Amino acid sequence: MSRLSFRPRPLDIHKKLPILKSIKDFEDDDSQTNTRNLILRLAAEATENEVPQTSSKKLAPEIPTPEYVVVDTYERDYSRTFAQPTSYIHARGARAEIGEFVEYDLDNEDEDWLQEFNKERKVLAAEKLETILYKLEVLDHKARERAGVIANTLGSPVPVLLSFDAAVEALQSLSIKYGVFQSIYNYWKDKRERWQKPALRRLQPPPPVNDTNPYNVFRPREKAHRLHTRRMQRRENNAQSFEKLRQVRRNLDQAKIILEALIKREEKKREVIESEISLQRLQMKHKNETELFEDTLALPEFPSFPSKVGSSEDEFVDSDDPSISRPHGRHITQNIPFRDTKVVTASPRIMRRDFKRRHVPHGWLHKLDPNEPPLLFTKPLDPAKLSAAGIIPPGSPTPNGLPARTFSFRGRMGRGGRIVFDRWNPLSHTPIECGDTLYVPPKARHSAHQ
Amino acid sequence: MGSIDTSTRVESGPDPIPTPNVTANGLSAGEDSVHPPAVDSTGASAENESLRKRKCSGVLPLEVGTRVMCRWRDGKYHPVKVIERRKLPCGGVNDYEYYVHYTEFNRRLDEWVKLEQLDLNSVETVVDEKVEDKVTSLKMTRHQKRKIDETHVEGHEELDAASLREHEEFTKVKNIATIELGRYEIETWYFSPFPPEYNDCSKLFFCEFCLNFMKRKEQLQRHMRKCDLKHPPGDEIYRSGTLSMFEVDGKKNKVYGQNLCYLAKLFLDHKTLYYDVDLFLFYVLCECDDRGCHMVGYFSKEKHSEESYNLACILTLPPYQRKGYGKFLIAFSYELSKKEGKVGTPERPLSDLGMLSYRGYWTRVLLDILKKHKGNISIKELSDMTAIKAEDILSTLQGLELIQYRKGQHVICADPKVLDRHLKAAGRGGLEVDVSKLIWTPYKEQN
Repeated sequence: MSRLSFRPRPLDIHKKLPILKSIKDFEDDDSQTNTRNLILRLAAEATENEVPQTSSKKLAPEIPTPEYVVVDTYERDYSRTFAQPTSYIHARGARAEIGEFVEYDLDNEDEDWLQEFNKERKVLAAEKLETILYKLEVLDHKARERAGVIANTLGSPVPVLLSFDAAVEALQSLSIKYGVFQSIYNYWKDKRERWQKPALRRLQPPPPVNDTNPYNVFRPREKAHRLHTRRMQRRENNAQSFEKLRQVRRNLDQAKIILEALIKREEKKREVIESEISLQRLQMKHKNETELFEDTLALPEFPSFPSKVGSSEDEFVDSDDPSISRPHGRHITQNIPFRDTKVVTASPRIMRRDFKRRHVPHGWLHKLDPNEPPLLFTKPLDPAKLSAAGIIPPGSPTPNGLPARTFSFRGRMGRGGRIVFDRWNPLSHTPIECGDTLYVPPKARHSAHQ
Repeated sequence: MGSIDTSTRVESGPDPIPTPNVTANGLSAGEDSVHPPAVDSTGASAENESLRKRKCSGVLPLEVGTRVMCRWRDGKYHPVKVIERRKLPCGGVNDYEYYVHYTEFNRRLDEWVKLEQLDLNSVETVVDEKVEDKVTSLKMTRHQKRKIDETHVEGHEELDAASLREHEEFTKVKNIATIELGRYEIETWYFSPFPPEYNDCSKLFFCEFCLNFMKRKEQLQRHMRKCDLKHPPGDEIYRSGTLSMFEVDGKKNKVYGQNLCYLAKLFLDHKTLYYDVDLFLFYVLCECDDRGCHMVGYFSKEKHSEESYNLACILTLPPYQRKGYGKFLIAFSYELSKKEGKVGTPERPLSDLGMLSYRGYWTRVLLDILKKHKGNISIKELSDMTAIKAEDILSTLQGLELIQYRKGQHVICADPKVLDRHLKAAGRGGLEVDVSKLIWTPYKEQN
């Protein structure tokens, strides 16, 4: 049954799976694939019959295990003195904290030494020796603690720091004969020098973290193992993490200085570019003005008025027309935001100044527009070629000779070779960009009506 | 591990000593000096014992790696491989005892044997030791791979054959053969890395309560006179009848935790004592009487597990095995997970016995739900109800072939008859955890 000819979709653990209560449910739904179904069912039964067999075989006590026997001295060794309290037992402090318990148990060499020692004078009980050795261990540990030489890890030898005199003084209360105590101390010190580590296991340092010898056990776990989430890391409040955070702070401060310098540099760059732009504009304007001057000299029949007068005159002439008297107000209010946006863009002031100072009546015929934005793809129109091609610019003097329209358009060659006539805003004397505003110049309407 | 079927096969042989089970290949006698070093080569038959012995004395002492038949505790001869040998303290040049591995059984049955237990007729003459070694090591690898595939469907993946061999090399000889723990003297199962001071002894005496271990009985008896503990040094969090569960913090009771680990390692093959105990909680299950609370088993649990383990090590002491305590411990670990509102899974690898217990537990819990449940159910919902990890649910149900692919979607097959059959095979849970008797709050770091 598990051998399907196709690979089943991986199982989504969040998807609710139907529980089929009977194998018959399988048969009911796809009767057309009867033979395959039958095979599957037989296979299922075969495997299902197999499963209990194998598992019962596993479950049966067939796995042989080593044996155990009952210790005959048990009942004597362990006294029947335990009475379970009615409430759940609560832990006391650890033995080391309670204090009076002698944690040390004599080992073989202690016992052998004691036997040897007691042969002469039966003076020292095993329990007494146990107590003394325990106290010596603890005192020595305290001495090392005071001296600040507690080894962090096993590997380097742990020397005895407790002097004999200090031990005698500390253990006066035990009232041991001086000679006996001296023997014990010497034995203990000798043992410790052989062991190179405390005899009491609790006081032995753990193996180093990077030690891979499997005989050494219970090494402290690396901090990195424990603190995986940031929340846990934050909780760690020690000198190490303090130092780490200080490092982070230093790094952040340095990054801030670098970023500030970067900003300064970029600002300088921008200033350089802006001054370059205005320089070029000035150069262009200068060049243009000389050309314009030459032009006016060359074509004396075209009168050149000051631009402001010309345009305002023009406006007034137009506003006399009743059809545009109302849109006039709207036109002004709408023009203000347009100007505002212009101010924001790069060096708009210069441009506007240019517009204002410009000689207006150049019309579309003007060959080189000084205010033509330095667009790569646009070219000024050649009026000769235009007339040759029979293209009459809009707003060019009509047969009835209204001069007003000459100000309304400006021709140029757009990119791709199209001929573009930009509508001219009569108030600001800037080109009206398509899509920039919904404003329809009244003049255009006016001419359309005509 | 993985030797279950072979063991049953051999034990079925009713032949008395010293004739070993005659194998199908029918090799008649020990004459076949070029006998292939195969695992199941038992082609030695009882012949003139004394003659053989004299002949074989030429091979003494036996080399490490030798394959030979050895009389086991059942009185029958079983194939073994010599793992190690050591000189007897008072003996001649060739007086050794041998540490042997019964190739049919798990390593836990490896032991030191005396020469008289070995059937020297069956010694396979080592033609070329190096070649032989190579062959066996290859065989071991394949054998181990199979072991991994068969008995530890999951969990052993992280132990490739190489590291498994390294592990076995390092722990190949049990250091401690027996321990005394309370009422019982127990044969150990595996190596345990006791401190070097304990390298010179093969029997340890454990205090039943604080688990301190000593080399001599008198030391234990002296210790018992002063030991003030009658139960594990932690909080009792569960009591039902004579059964009590104690929670011991490895940080507060370091020595106890370490003692427990040393002890447990004697019965767990893939337990590591690499890290200190202070990051673990130990849940010690006890049978209580007027002598105190006697540990029957325990499980340990990481205080903060990143892999959502709800159990690190689990052990029922051999005298208390097959009484349902292991199942109780597993169920208990899931009850703790439920209280924590977490989903949990045991740390891998699981031993053969551990895997059996877990499969049984998962089967019982899941199939009990499926039997009663009406309507559709997702794996996630099952996981939320039981605190069993979704992967474990999937592997259990798929192992029982209860998830099937029908008409482009998975369905759970829950025919009551099929479920009952599986439930019967999984065995009953024995001791139930009575949640109302669990008084416990999840561990919180005290800073």
